Amino acid sequence: MNFLTSYIHYVGCFALVLIGLYVALVKSNLIKVIIGINLIDTGVNLFLVATGYLGGGTAPIFSKAAEQSQEMVDPVPQALVLTAIVIGVSVLALALALAIKVYDHNGTLDLRKLKGLKW
Amino acid sequence: MVSPILLIAVPLALAFLTPMVGLASKSARRYMPAIAMLFNFIVAMSLLPKALEAPIIVRTAGWAPPLSIHLVAGPLGLLLSSLVALIGLLVAIYGIDYIREGARARYDVLYTLLLVGATGVVLTGDLFNLFVFFEVLCISSYALVAYRGDSAGVEAGMKYLIQGAIGSSLVLIGIGLLYGTVGTLSMADIASSVGSVAGSRLFISLAFMIAGFGVEAAIFPLNAWLPDAHSSAPSSISAVLSGVAIKAGLYAIARVVYTVYGASSILPFLAVLGVVTLLVGEMCAFAQEDIKRLLAFSSIGQMGLILFALALSSATGISGAVFLIISHGLAKALLFLATGYMIYRTGSRDISSLAGMGKRMPIMSLCFTVGAFSLMGLPPFVGFASKFTIVRAVLGTGSTFFITLLAIGLIGTVIEGAYFLRIVQWLYFKPAPEAMPEQTEGRAPLTALVPVGLLAVLIVTIGLLPGIVGRALGPAADDLLDRAAYIQHVMGD
Repeated sequence: MNFLTSYIHYVGCFALVLIGLYVALVKSNLIKVIIGINLIDTGVNLFLVATGYLGGGTAPIFSKAAEQSQEMVDPVPQALVLTAIVIGVSVLALALALAIKVYDHNGTLDLRKLKGLKW
Repeated sequence: MVSPILLIAVPLALAFLTPMVGLASKSARRYMPAIAMLFNFIVAMSLLPKALEAPIIVRTAGWAPPLSIHLVAGPLGLLLSSLVALIGLLVAIYGIDYIREGARARYDVLYTLLLVGATGVVLTGDLFNLFVFFEVLCISSYALVAYRGDSAGVEAGMKYLIQGAIGSSLVLIGIGLLYGTVGTLSMADIASSVGSVAGSRLFISLAFMIAGFGVEAAIFPLNAWLPDAHSSAPSSISAVLSGVAIKAGLYAIARVVYTVYGASSILPFLAVLGVVTLLVGEMCAFAQEDIKRLLAFSSIGQMGLILFALALSSATGISGAVFLIISHGLAKALLFLATGYMIYRTGSRDISSLAGMGKRMPIMSLCFTVGAFSLMGLPPFVGFASKFTIVRAVLGTGSTFFITLLAIGLIGTVIEGAYFLRIVQWLYFKPAPEAMPEQTEGRAPLTALVPVGLLAVLIVTIGLLPGIVGRALGPAADDLLDRAAYIQHVMGD
C-alpha cells in the first residue's frame, strides 16, 4: 500500500503505456492501432514529467518561491516533453494521412485484410 | 575554421527554403538536395583531418557541456557524416531525373531532412538530442516510403510507421529511466557517473534503448518492416534507406552501449543477435524472386554482420565494422540505383526479367556486377577488404565463442554469394526474351550514369587502396572504445 501511494504516478503512466501497447498489438482496426500508439506516447510523456516532479514544488520560473531551488520541479523533463509532444503530433498526423490512403486503396481499415505485401 | 554545426544547420535551412525556391523556378528546386549535400561533403571532409587528432566540441548558447546541448564531431561522427553526405550527394544527383511523378517539392524537402537527421544522429553529444534527430530521420523516411502513394508503398509506410513509432517510444522510456537515475542528458556526463549506479537499475533502460534503436537498425526479430519498406519505396529512396538510415540506428546502439553505458557484458548477446540476423536475412534473400526485395533482405544480413563486428569490442573489430558500414553503404546504394533504371526499362521487378540486360544496358549491368561482387566480398573490391578485417579481428580475439559464431556467420556469406551470382548469371548468360518490351523512357540519362559510375569507381579504388579510409578507421574505433578520452574531451576544461 505504501509503495502504491508513493509511486502512484509511475504506476499510472506505465499502465497507460501497457494499455497502449495492448491496443496496438491486438486490435485489427488501423484507427485503433493509431490510438494505441498515441496512448503509448501519452504514457511516456507522463512518465517523463513524473521523473522531474517534486511534491509541492512550484513551476520552474524565476519567482519568489523559486529562489530556493529545492522547491522547484525539474525543468529539463518538461522541456523534453514539449519536444516529445510535437514529435508525437507529427507522427500521429502522418499516420492518419496514411490511414486515409490505405482506405482509398483497399476500401477497408481492417489490418487482417491488407495482404498486398507478404513475406 | 568552419564549425561542425553547419553540417546540420545549412542543409536544414536549405530543406525549408526548397519550396520557396520552387516558387521562383521549378527546375532549380530539383538541385537543392544536391547542393545541400555537396556543401556537407566538402565541410565534413575538410574537418575530418582535424577531428582525427581530437574531437571538435561545439557548445551551443555558450554553456559548457554538461548544461547545454552540444555536438561532438569526433573521428567516427565525421567519418560517418562524410559517408552520409557522399551517398546523399550521389543519390540526390540520381534523383534529379529519376523522380518523375508525385509531389516533387515534398520529395526534395523530405529527402534533405532525412539526411539532416542522419547527420545529426552521428554528430550529437546529447542523449535527448540523439532521439530528436533520430525522429527527424524516421518521420521523413515513413513519408518517403509512401511517397508514390500506390497501394504497396502506403501499406509498407504504414507498417514501418507503426513499428517505428513504438520503437521510438521505447527509446524515450529508456532515456527517461536513465535521466531519472543519473539526472543528466549529456552522454559524456552520463558516462562519467553511471559507474557509481547499481547495474540492475541501468539494465532496464539499456534494454529499452537497444530494443527501440534495434527497430530502425533492423535487428532480428525487429526487422519485419524493412523488406516491405525498402522494396516499395522509389529506388533512390531505397538507396538512402539501405545505405544511410539503418546505419544510424546501428550507430546509436553502438554509441549507447560503448560510450554511455560502457556495458561490455551485453556484447556477447549482441554478437549472437548479429549472427542470427545475418543468417535470417541471407536465407530470406535467397528465396526472393523480386530483385528489390532481395536487395532489402541482403541489407538485413549485412546489418547482422556489422552488429557482430561491433560486438567484438576490439579495435580491429570496430574498425572492420565501420569499414563494412562504408563498403555496404556504397555497394547497396549502387545496387539500388542501378536496379532503378533496369526496372524502368523492363517494367518488372522479377529477377527473370533481367535476362540479357548485359547487352541492353551494358554500363548499368557492369556497375551492378561490381556492387554485387563487392557485397559478396570478392577481391579487389572494397567488400573484401572490410570482411577480411572482420575475420582477422575475430581470429585475433582467440575466443572460441566468437570463432564459432564467425563460422556460422560465414555460411550466410556463402548463401549471399549464391544469390548474387544467380543475378549476374541472369544479366549476362541468359538470352534476352524475343519480344522485348522496349520502353524508351527507360534509357538511363547522364544524371543516373554519373552517380552509378562514380560509386563503382569508388568501390574499386578503395578496394585496391584501403589506406584511403584506413587512416581514419583506427581513430574511429578508439572514439567508441576509449570512454575516458571521450569524457575528458567533452567535459575537459
